[in-house]
Amino acid sequence: MTSHAVLVACHECDTLQRVEGLPSGSVARCRCCEARLFANPKGGLDTPLALTLSCLILFLVANAYPLLTLNIKGLTHETTLSGAALALYRADMAPLAAVVWITSVLGPALIIVSMLYVLSALRFALRLPFVRQVLVWISRLQPWGMLDVFMLGVLVALVKLAGMADVVLGAGLYAYVALIFFFAAASSRIEPHLLWERLGVRG
Amino acid sequence: MSCPAQRAADLGLMGCHICGLVVRGRSGHGLLCPRCGAAVHFRKPNSLSRTWALLITAMLMYIPAMALPVMETSYFGNTQGDTIMSGVVYFLKHGDWPLALVIFVASVLVPLLKMIALVYLLVSVQRHSLFRHRERTRLYRITELIGRWSMVDVFVVALLVALVQLGALASIAPGLGAMAFAAVVILTIVAAMSFDPRLIWDHQERIHSHEQ
Repeated sequence: MTSHAVLVACHECDTLQRVEGLPSGSVARCRCCEARLFANPKGGLDTPLALTLSCLILFLVANAYPLLTLNIKGLTHETTLSGAALALYRADMAPLAAVVWITSVLGPALIIVSMLYVLSALRFALRLPFVRQVLVWISRLQPWGMLDVFMLGVLVALVKLAGMADVVLGAGLYAYVALIFFFAAASSRIEPHLLWERLGVRG
Repeated sequence: MSCPAQRAADLGLMGCHICGLVVRGRSGHGLLCPRCGAAVHFRKPNSLSRTWALLITAMLMYIPAMALPVMETSYFGNTQGDTIMSGVVYFLKHGDWPLALVIFVASVLVPLLKMIALVYLLVSVQRHSLFRHRERTRLYRITELIGRWSMVDVFVVALLVALVQLGALASIAPGLGAMAFAAVVILTIVAAMSFDPRLIWDHQERIHSHEQ
């Protein structure tokens, strides 16, 4: 479905332009600075809703089971997703622990749950409270969800430990890897600007 | 077509940062977007001084971030501090140069280049530069996009501290360098957010409007 014509002021160069019906599956770029204005993802709300729900389930599994288990000469020690932040807290580095926990657990969790809330409200035409506030909240949270960066951290840590110990991959990690893919898929199917178009101006 | 053809601010219009709605602005601040309720501005308030303040703090924190150990490893009674650079050297010595490169780029080069890029953008805007608006905007876009990947080293430290807790045999504790490094990453992310790229385009050569 092509999108309606909308008036856009580019957020990077302030060029005012009208974007006429954007075919689904394509991205509108600023005609002056080529900044990405918005996309019109294929499909309606069902796909992003299903993907976001999968993210929630995978996120819960990723948190409930151990991520990695270390084994040196018979001594083992395991950690969960939150365990990484907890270890920093126990080592008297509360601010650092907070940063790690917010970017790896709290941020992604809030984004997933909030998105599920907004999508269900729109998809099932539910009159849920605070939908607009939640959608604003998602935009502000977006930079602080660092699932993918954390994954790179896991890979680097694995290589670092490979020399000195055996590392066993836990169920949590498998769920986590799947979560990365589902989260990326969900994000590419969700365009906040179009969700705002659906919500319309308060009347 | 000249570029930009028509700028929203010149017509008294402003685009909402959160939902994208174009609204008619009044002089002064304090307008809330009628669609999403977020504050809308012609330009981000105090963008330049705010970005400078965050950037200078980030630059100062970069020194302890590089100089202090990010973690302390105890292995069979020997304790050793690891800085970010010694981590890179460790991988190089073990012939693991792809990983050495990843760490070097993400932890040393990216924060440094990001700070240099922001300084350049700030100075060029303050000097009303007419030089390559489009490329400078692209520089900003890249700066904003890659900043978060520097967090990777903080996560590595957190994971190693969480895993390597085997008492006298082997244990890893976080170092103050990790705290300083996380501060650099967060400060540069917030600095990039508070910079308003529309300022790059606020000074145009008048001739442009006569093209075509």
